[in-house]
Amino acid sequence: MRSGSGWRLLAPALLLLAVAFVAPVGLMVPTSVRPYVPLVGITGGFTARHYTRLLTDSYYLEIIGRTLALGLSVTGSTLLLGYPVALFLARTRSRWRNWLTILVVFPLMLNLVVRTFGWIALLAQNGLVNQALQALGLVDGPVKLLFNFAGLLIGLTHIFLPFMVLVLIGAIQNIPRDVEDAARVLGASWGGAFLRVTLPLSAPGILSGSILVFVLTISALVTPRLLGGPTYQVMSTLIYDEFLQRLNWPAGSAQSLLLTAMVLTLIYLSGRLARRTGASA
Amino acid sequence: MSGAAPALRVRRLRKAFGPVVAVDDVSLDAAPGEFVALLGPSGCGKSTLLRMVAGLVEPDGGEIVLAGLDITRVAVHRRNLGLVFQSYALFPHMTVFENVAFGLRRRGVGPPELGPRVERMLELVRLGPLGARYPRELSGGQQQRVALARALVTEPRVLLLDEPLSNLDALLRDEMRVELKRLQERLGITMIFVTHDQAEALVLSDRVVVMEAGRVEQIGRPEEVYRRPATAFVARFLGRANFLAGTVAESGPTGIVVALDGDRFQVVAVPRSGLGAGQRVHAVIRQEAIRLEPAEGAALRPNNFAATVVFHAFAGQTHHYVIQLADGRELEVATPGAAAPLARGAHTHVAWSPDDVILLPTGPAASGDAW
Amino acid sequence: MTAASVRTWLLRAWVTLVFGFLMLPVVVIALASFSRTSYLTVPPKGLTLAWFAKVLGDAEYVHAIVFSLLLALVATAGSVGAGVAASYALIRRRVAGAAGAAALLNAPLVFPGVVVGVALLQFYAMVHLNGTLVGLALAHMVITVPYVVRAVTASLQGIDPEIEHAARVLGASGPVAFFTVTLPLIRPGVVAGALFSFIVSFDNVPVSIFLLGAGQMTLPVKIFTAIEYGVDPSIAAISTMLIVITGLGLALAERWIGFHRFV
Repeated sequence: MRSGSGWRLLAPALLLLAVAFVAPVGLMVPTSVRPYVPLVGITGGFTARHYTRLLTDSYYLEIIGRTLALGLSVTGSTLLLGYPVALFLARTRSRWRNWLTILVVFPLMLNLVVRTFGWIALLAQNGLVNQALQALGLVDGPVKLLFNFAGLLIGLTHIFLPFMVLVLIGAIQNIPRDVEDAARVLGASWGGAFLRVTLPLSAPGILSGSILVFVLTISALVTPRLLGGPTYQVMSTLIYDEFLQRLNWPAGSAQSLLLTAMVLTLIYLSGRLARRTGASA
Repeated sequence: MSGAAPALRVRRLRKAFGPVVAVDDVSLDAAPGEFVALLGPSGCGKSTLLRMVAGLVEPDGGEIVLAGLDITRVAVHRRNLGLVFQSYALFPHMTVFENVAFGLRRRGVGPPELGPRVERMLELVRLGPLGARYPRELSGGQQQRVALARALVTEPRVLLLDEPLSNLDALLRDEMRVELKRLQERLGITMIFVTHDQAEALVLSDRVVVMEAGRVEQIGRPEEVYRRPATAFVARFLGRANFLAGTVAESGPTGIVVALDGDRFQVVAVPRSGLGAGQRVHAVIRQEAIRLEPAEGAALRPNNFAATVVFHAFAGQTHHYVIQLADGRELEVATPGAAAPLARGAHTHVAWSPDDVILLPTGPAASGDAW
Repeated sequence: MTAASVRTWLLRAWVTLVFGFLMLPVVVIALASFSRTSYLTVPPKGLTLAWFAKVLGDAEYVHAIVFSLLLALVATAGSVGAGVAASYALIRRRVAGAAGAAALLNAPLVFPGVVVGVALLQFYAMVHLNGTLVGLALAHMVITVPYVVRAVTASLQGIDPEIEHAARVLGASGPVAFFTVTLPLIRPGVVAGALFSFIVSFDNVPVSIFLLGAGQMTLPVKIFTAIEYGVDPSIAAISTMLIVITGLGLALAERWIGFHRFV
């Protein structure tokens, strides 16, 4: 193997990322500590105000808290809904297995806006879900499912469920079938074998999938914006408004960097955990 | 070695991967038309050596000369050597014909000449009608022959083979060995063959290069390497043998007498120089060199000892025995399968000719018997 | 019924419900796009194709579609070129710092899209690339290159490295060996990577929305802003068209290269 040529082949991609990714993100750091005067713009000087506001003002803390809570609950719901599906797809011998996998992937390939739009139609006051709930007599009047936590939870679960399922399928497929069979032969019931063998062995996959969904959820922009409306904010929509409505680039940069720091910390931690449990992302 | 210029000459070739020295100052020659086997256990450096000759690995030092031309720094695709890989490395997306034609196409051989040359080579390896098939449709043995054809069709000066028969089952291996040898003799091409299988090396080669830990232990004709191993490693690697530790008692023109440890027995070997009285040695006797004799006529031979059969197994072509001498020493013996077997506990005599005793000097410190 | 068959039945029921959940919005939109009403309603009241005609006749929508396609094509071409080279370098060549390079190549996948968008917004303002096709294309390449690298890496890892060596010993120089032997064998990975890349670029909102200049519009951003201002079935109509095209594309990909291996 000639060692020199490797760099030449890597150069275009690395250069692209250095110039159009690393540099721009890095340049947000100095911007985030510049003062901003409304109607005037960014002025010279240094201020930590944009950061301190985020961590002290209750308005921002509520948004951050809501974002994290959303992350946790979406992770939980995708895990709960998705694990059995992954189990089924990983172990089934049906000849539709590949096409079913494609069916799981299909929503992912579909335009995000389109998918979210579908939920608007479903969750509206007079949408299908409310119509069904009232027809079944479960509620008296329409339930508010848009512009609140419930709507975001449902919508984001739908968006990120395929990710969780795909990661879990990979993890479960890595568990050799005979290990489960061995447990059964040794006397474990199906439930016992599942709890003591399958579940623990799929733990690395559960971890990877959870981190992935959590990170994607707290970064989401389109779905929270459409299902939450302009007033029910999460971090990404806050950043969106900060840049495009309020034009406060320094504050927006600070918020972006905070979000980035959260994501990177999570990835780093998951990497450490993965190495200790011998998993791979 | 003949007086003709070697087809391939390797001089002081070295390669280290970090702290591990894979090939340590190796030199060897291959005469034109010769079949040379590089024999050794995994990790001994034989494959690395081969790949350096092919150009796939860059040597840290030394030189490679092909028919008088220094190719040490020449790029892989310009060396005009043939290489058969252990995994065959056939191009899965090309037919058998296309696989074999690949090398010719790279040399600019066009349609009028290409087809017939490929067809001829396919006939030679007995794959004539299979040109349109894909590698995945062929059996292991057939794939191996495609790999051979592909490497030979460009008429390289030297053909390198990296354990090409390892992936075949036992019966197929034997068949392919014969075919390979016949092919080599017919084409008169120089072949360098890497293997860890000593039987293979002995059957196929004109000369064997025994390697261990990056170094050459011995180079010689198969009989030489087998009958007169230079080191204990070569002796052990070439076939199972009995190692008897002892000290040289006398060394003269009529023979060498070795007193075995335990002071009970003596072994007589043919005379040779370099071993004086007092030298610590291993007397090495191969399993098949030991004969089982009835008690009568015992005193006639120099190496003849009373023994009891402790273990017997029948392996078709041979009987495997473990016999025990009067002092508790055990020897492994292999006799022709056609003979009647001896049962456990049977009393017999073991005998061998002085000719079959290999003497390997050991250090001054005493070492125990080893198989 | 045995415990095993109850379990199987339960599992299948669960799986069916979840698949139903996944397909629900898709079905709903498809149905809503045929409604005669001027507001979104499901089940649709009356059936008409008028909304489809309206969308296809709307110059702004058509421009957005064309622009999105163009952008996706350019971004895909770039990211496939850079991505295949990078993947090959990482798998087949010994490079110092390969782990770091691989991590960097993977980073855009987990980075918040909105952060990439605003970072480039500011950066482009400095280098006067805002509102340009070049700037947009580069931004899209950044977010799509990781998909190409992943897919091609998956393909490449399944190929015996000795095959390339064999080609070289037989007389092929490095580039010739790559194009005659390696490339045909990694074609499924390259196609899958290109497909992912195209879709990610075509569908993107968080990056595009910050970088579009005057007179530029991509389809998803148009739909996004349209929804913000109020919904009517024409949005459902364009959505349905996207659903059908994506579905067909995916089915073709599965048939042609066994796409399920790359997800």
